[in-house]
Amino acid sequence: MNKLLNKSLKSFTIYALLVLASSVPAYYYLVDSIWLRELDEHNEIIANRTEKELNNLKLNETELNRSVTLWNKIKPGTNLEKIILNNNNKTDSIYTILRKNIYVEHNEIDRFRGLSRVIKIKGENYLLTVETNVEETEETAIAIAILTFLFFLILVVGFLILNKRLSIKLWQPFRNTLSELKTFNLNAQSKISFEKSNILEFEELNVALNKLIEHTVSVYKSQKEFTENASHELQTPLAIIKNKLDILLQKEALTDRQYQIIEDINKALTRVSRINKNLLLLAKIENHQFDESETINLSELTEECLKQLQEHFSNKELSVNTSIEKDCVVTGNRVLIEVLINNLLLNSIRHNSQKGIVEVKLNQSGLFISNSGIKTLEKEHLFKRFKKSSEESSGSGLGLAIVEQICKRHQWTIGYEFQQEKHTFKISF
Amino acid sequence: MKILIIEDENELAESISEYLSEENYLCEFARTYSQALEKIESFNYDCILLDIMLPDGNGINILQELKKRDKQEGVIIISAKNALDDKINGLQIGADDYLTKPFHLSELAARIYSIIRRKQFRNTNIIQQNELQIDLLGKTVKFKNHPIELTKKEFNLLLYFIGNNNRIISKSTLAEHLSGDFADMLDNHDFVYAHIKNLKKKLNEVGCKNYLKTVYGTGYKWEDE
Repeated sequence: MNKLLNKSLKSFTIYALLVLASSVPAYYYLVDSIWLRELDEHNEIIANRTEKELNNLKLNETELNRSVTLWNKIKPGTNLEKIILNNNNKTDSIYTILRKNIYVEHNEIDRFRGLSRVIKIKGENYLLTVETNVEETEETAIAIAILTFLFFLILVVGFLILNKRLSIKLWQPFRNTLSELKTFNLNAQSKISFEKSNILEFEELNVALNKLIEHTVSVYKSQKEFTENASHELQTPLAIIKNKLDILLQKEALTDRQYQIIEDINKALTRVSRINKNLLLLAKIENHQFDESETINLSELTEECLKQLQEHFSNKELSVNTSIEKDCVVTGNRVLIEVLINNLLLNSIRHNSQKGIVEVKLNQSGLFISNSGIKTLEKEHLFKRFKKSSEESSGSGLGLAIVEQICKRHQWTIGYEFQQEKHTFKISF
Repeated sequence: MKILIIEDENELAESISEYLSEENYLCEFARTYSQALEKIESFNYDCILLDIMLPDGNGINILQELKKRDKQEGVIIISAKNALDDKINGLQIGADDYLTKPFHLSELAARIYSIIRRKQFRNTNIIQQNELQIDLLGKTVKFKNHPIELTKKEFNLLLYFIGNNNRIISKSTLAEHLSGDFADMLDNHDFVYAHIKNLKKKLNEVGCKNYLKTVYGTGYKWEDE
């Protein structure tokens, strides 16, 4: 994943590269034209001076010829030559020339800017040529390019540093909001409060989030209350049906078939009540109605639960192997922990085969309850409400969902495993 | 014996009354908190059934009123809430028992029976039923002074039957009664049959008449002649 600021950094860098790259030819033309203009001026000054000075010397013809020869010999870059002109006004010519510089040891090509002009000395026409060395095109271009690249590097490094500092400072409110959101747990119903930010966008974000959370919490609350209220409301009509059946049962002269129907209704009714009771229990756990905690001797409690179910074990001829470490103590809600153990034990009876095995193991780190089984159960649906993983239909479909909720409430983890034809539920404290 | 049913749900109150009246209980009704207060002020009852969620007040307050007046009625709280707090609270204030809706009428009848007997025979706690003497406190049974060794569950069953004299009780009802809060989650009710068989056998052995009859194959009834 890319960070937001790195994305903009990339665009900025590319843009800077483009601008700086296109500045290289621009700078080159600017520098070169300044160069040439200055040199033209320089050449012009030399030409003017030469003409003036030579005229001021007031030499005779022989002396002049000698001086011109001497001039040509010792003054490099200039040349003075007598010419005959057909008409009197020859215009100046300005040129650029590339040639070898004979005064430099390593023979390289240099660029020269030249001015040739006709000057008059003592009425005679002389052609004066002045040439001045100019920096070569490539050298200028390379120098500018290197400089530009250096500036580019400085820019990029600057961007990086700024980016880092900005992302720490500028995005701090955003990060605060994010970490608040990460800790938010709808189930815990903890209030969430965002730090005030003086940046408009972040403040808007916080306000919008607050609104969203408030709404979600209220919907969630009312939904949970609905489950609880609905379960409560169902209790009374269920009681009426149950009681009417009890009365019906007392009526004289029922046939066996009629009795059986009443009994079947009774059983179904018991199941409805059981589901209702369990839904209520779930809602109550989720609504934090079992918040009081105490220290519980889990070893004793487990033994007690086993004892209460003894006749159901023997009824199915199950062999129960226990290895319960003495005085394992946990902190939690007694009612819930009892429900937890009972649910797991009842499952181990219900989903066992005749003459099967039940194993209960308890130590300081966890509780293991296993029973004989044939094939592994689907892990992902196991703890979901009303997801039954076997054909056995008598369960309410809520037992394991309750177990999971209870584990959550105590911050324990529950796991399931199928090994050596045994289902094992493991609770780690 | 007089029973006051404080319950706002008509159907429920009538069913309870119908079931109990056959046992020679006389039932009176109070549908609201204020009606209930009126009744307990003017009359004495043997037992009061109290729904704590009334339209115009909390039933728990009626308990407090009873206590203030130093009344001796047995009180059974009937509640749609299975809240432990309410249960503990109610029992502490002076209720004798607590039943969560939905319940079987036979369960209610058995509890009323025990509470009234306990209140009536405060000193002895002995019930005479047919030739049987049942010690509620010591949880022992004698037949013509011969002690009968019953398990806790068998004793429990015997009381249940006697509390529902001449009434048919189905196997599933007994299973719910015997397994208490949680084991009704098991659909196999064979264990009920085993307990009843043992109880019958033990009663037979000492020469007790066969009062406990099987009806419709899987229903049971304590038939008092």
